[in-house]
Amino acid sequence: MKKKLGVLALVAASALALTSCASNGDPGSSGAPAADAKIRVWLVGTDTPKEAREYLTTTFEKENPGSKLIIEEQSWTGLVDKLNTNLSGSDSPDVVEVGNTQAAAFTSAGAFLDLTKEFDSLGGKDLLPGFVEAGSYDGKFYAAPLYSGARLVFFKKDALSAAGLTVPTTLADYVSNGKKLAADNAGKSGIWWPGQDWYNALPFIWENGGEVATFKDGKWSSAFSTANSLEGLKQVQDAMVNASRAPKDGKEDNPQVGFCDGTSLQLSAPSWVKWSILAPADSETPGCPDQEENLGVYALPGKDGGAASVMAGGSNIAVSNKSKNPELATKALKIILSDEFQTIYAKNGLVPAKLSLAKELGTDEVATATAEAAGKARLTPPSPKWADVEAAGLLQDFFVKIAQGGDVESLAKELDKKIDGVLNG
Amino acid sequence: MSTLNSARPRVPDEPKEPELPQPAGPKLSGRAKLGTKLTPYGLLVPALAVLAVVIGWPLINLIIMSFQKFGRAQVFGAPPEWIGFGNYAKVLSDSTFWEVLGRSLLFCLVCVVFTMLLGTLIAMMMVRLTKFFRLLLSVGLLLAWAMPALTATIVWGWIFDTDYGVINNVLVNVFGLDFQQHSWLINPVSFFFVAAIIVIWGAVPFVTFTVYAGLTQVPDEVLEAASLDGAGYVQRFRLIVFPYLKSIFVVITILQIIWDLRVFTQIYALQGIGGIKEQTSTLGVYIYQTSLGSGEYGIGGAIAVITVIILMAISLYYVRQSIKEEEL
Repeated sequence: MKKKLGVLALVAASALALTSCASNGDPGSSGAPAADAKIRVWLVGTDTPKEAREYLTTTFEKENPGSKLIIEEQSWTGLVDKLNTNLSGSDSPDVVEVGNTQAAAFTSAGAFLDLTKEFDSLGGKDLLPGFVEAGSYDGKFYAAPLYSGARLVFFKKDALSAAGLTVPTTLADYVSNGKKLAADNAGKSGIWWPGQDWYNALPFIWENGGEVATFKDGKWSSAFSTANSLEGLKQVQDAMVNASRAPKDGKEDNPQVGFCDGTSLQLSAPSWVKWSILAPADSETPGCPDQEENLGVYALPGKDGGAASVMAGGSNIAVSNKSKNPELATKALKIILSDEFQTIYAKNGLVPAKLSLAKELGTDEVATATAEAAGKARLTPPSPKWADVEAAGLLQDFFVKIAQGGDVESLAKELDKKIDGVLNG
Repeated sequence: MSTLNSARPRVPDEPKEPELPQPAGPKLSGRAKLGTKLTPYGLLVPALAVLAVVIGWPLINLIIMSFQKFGRAQVFGAPPEWIGFGNYAKVLSDSTFWEVLGRSLLFCLVCVVFTMLLGTLIAMMMVRLTKFFRLLLSVGLLLAWAMPALTATIVWGWIFDTDYGVINNVLVNVFGLDFQQHSWLINPVSFFFVAAIIVIWGAVPFVTFTVYAGLTQVPDEVLEAASLDGAGYVQRFRLIVFPYLKSIFVVITILQIIWDLRVFTQIYALQGIGGIKEQTSTLGVYIYQTSLGSGEYGIGGAIAVITVIILMAISLYYVRQSIKEEEL
C-alpha cells in the first residue's frame, strides 16, 4: 500500500511539474502579445562588464514596461554545439552573442532573423566593417557587431628591466626576449603560451606573408604548409618550446593565475585580461591588484616593426529566428548597439561596435595599444564551415603537437588536408 | 539449480497459483479469461508508452537521419536529401572511425575488468568488516556514486593538473621524482589512465553494493561445510560464491560494458582540460563531435546507429547466455 501511495504521489508530482512548465512556456496566450514577455539574452564569457549588463536590463525594462530581460551567461567552450541545439529548438533564446569567426555557420543556415531592414537604425556604415561582413550572408545582414577585442602583450616591468631588455620592436625580438626571460628565470615563462592557444599563433603566419586558407575557383585550400606559413610556424614553435613553461596541452583560460603567482612574465591575451589581473584578491576569480604599477602592456610588434596583424577577436550579436518576440528582441538589440551601451565597452578596454566611439577607449596604455592592434587586426577565413574547423579542435590539436616539438612541416601538411576536407566537405 | 530445488522438501502451505480456490465459480467465462490474460500487457502499457516517447521516437528519427544528408541547414528547416547508405559507406571506409572504435573497446574492456575486480573485492571486504567500518565504507562509496560525472572529472582534472595539481606536487616534493610540470593528459595512454581512474572510481560503488547484497544471500551453512571439507578462500569463491551470484555478475557486467562503451562526460570534459582530441576520442565523444561540433548530423547518426547495433549485439549475447543457464 505504501508503495502504491508513493507511486501515486510521484505521478501527481510529475504531472504538476509538467503542467507548470507548460503554463510558463506560453506567455502570449492571454491579452496583448508580448506585453509581459520575457526576452532571454545569451552573453558569452565574462567579457561584457557588469555595468553594461545592468544598463541593458534596466533600460529595456523601462522602455518596455511589463516585459523582462534576462541575461544568461554562456561559456565559450562548446558554444557552437550549444547554439546548434538551442537555436533550432522550441526553447530558443531570443538574442544571442556568437564569436565573430563562428557567425557564418549560423547566418548561412538560417538560424538568425534577417536584420537587413534594421541595418541603418542599428548604426549603418558606422558599424565595424569586418564584423558586418562576418554577420552577413548572401547579401543579407543577420548579425550585428557586438565588440572587438585586440590581443595585447602584458608583461612584468621589473622582469623585463632585470633582464636588461626593452619593449620589443619586431616579432623576432619578441621571441628572443621571451627566450632570454625564460633562460634568466628558471621555471618561469618568458612568454606564457599554452599549447591549445592558436589565436596567438596566427599573427606569426600573417606577418611572414602566410595565410590560413585561400579561396580560388570556388574551392578553399588551407595554407599552413606554404613556405611563408612554415616560417611563421617555426617561430611559434621556438617560442612555445623555449620561452614558455605553460602546459603543452593547456588552454588559454585564466592567464591571470600564472601572472599573479609570478610564473608568467609575459603573456599575450585579449585586452580585458587587464581587469582579470587587477581584480581584487578576494573576488571569485582573484587577481593581484598590487601588481598594477608593475603591469606593462604593448601591442604585438610586426615582422618589420609597427604593430603586427593580430587576430580580431570579438563577437557578433543576432536575434534568433525562433524568437517568440522578434520585435522586442530587436529592440533589445538596438539598446545593445546604442552609443551609451557601447561606450561602456570602450571604457572597459574593448573596441566598441561603432567606429565613431573609438575615441571613448581613452588614452591609457591599454587603450593606445588596443587602438594600434585593432588597426591591423585580421579575421579567419570567411567560410560558413570555418566554425566547424574550430569546433573539431583541429587547430588546438595541431598547436599542442607543435608545442611538444613535433615536426612542423609534416604536421602542417596533415593539418592542411584535414582543413581542406572540412571547408570543402 | 533445478536439481537443488527438487531436492528441497516441499513446504506444504506454499501458495500455488493454479490450486487457489476460484471465488467466481467453477469456471471463468472466456471473456474474463482473456481479461486476465491481457492484464499483464495492460500494466505494461504505461511504461511502454513512456519508453516509446522518450527512447523510441528519437531512435526512429536517428535511424531516418542516418540515411539522409542532414547538415546544419536541415536543422534550421531546409528539406533533407535521401542518400541511402551513403553515410554508412563514408563512416565504414573512414579509418578514424575504426581507430575510435578500437580505442573505445579497449578502454571499455580495461574499465569493466578493473571495476568488476575492485567492486567484488571491496564487497567481500565489506562482509568481514565490523559494523562501524562497514558504515563508513558505505557512506564513502555512496558519496562517490552520488557525485555527478562532470563534477568528478573537473576535480580529478585539478588533482592531475600540470601546474598546480596535487599528484605532481606529491611526486616531486615527497618522492623526489621528476614530475615537475608533468602533463598527464598529453600522452593518449596516460590520458586514458586518468580517464579510467575517473570512470572506475565512479562505477565501483554500484558493483560493490550489488555484489554485497548478493553475498549476504549465500547461505553460511554451505560455506561452512565447504571449509570443513578443506576448501580454501579461492576455492570457496570459485565453487560456491560465484555460482550463487552468477546471474548478478552477468547483469552488472553487461551494464558496465554498456556504460563504459558509451562513456561520454568523463572523456569530453577531460579533453577540455588537456590532451589531443583526435587521439583520445571514444565513440560517444566522436558522435558528438561529428554531429553537434561539425554539424554533420547524418554521418553522426550513422555512427550512432552502428554503436547501437554493437551494444545490442553484446547485450543480446549475454542475455541469451544467462537465460539459457536459467532454463537448464
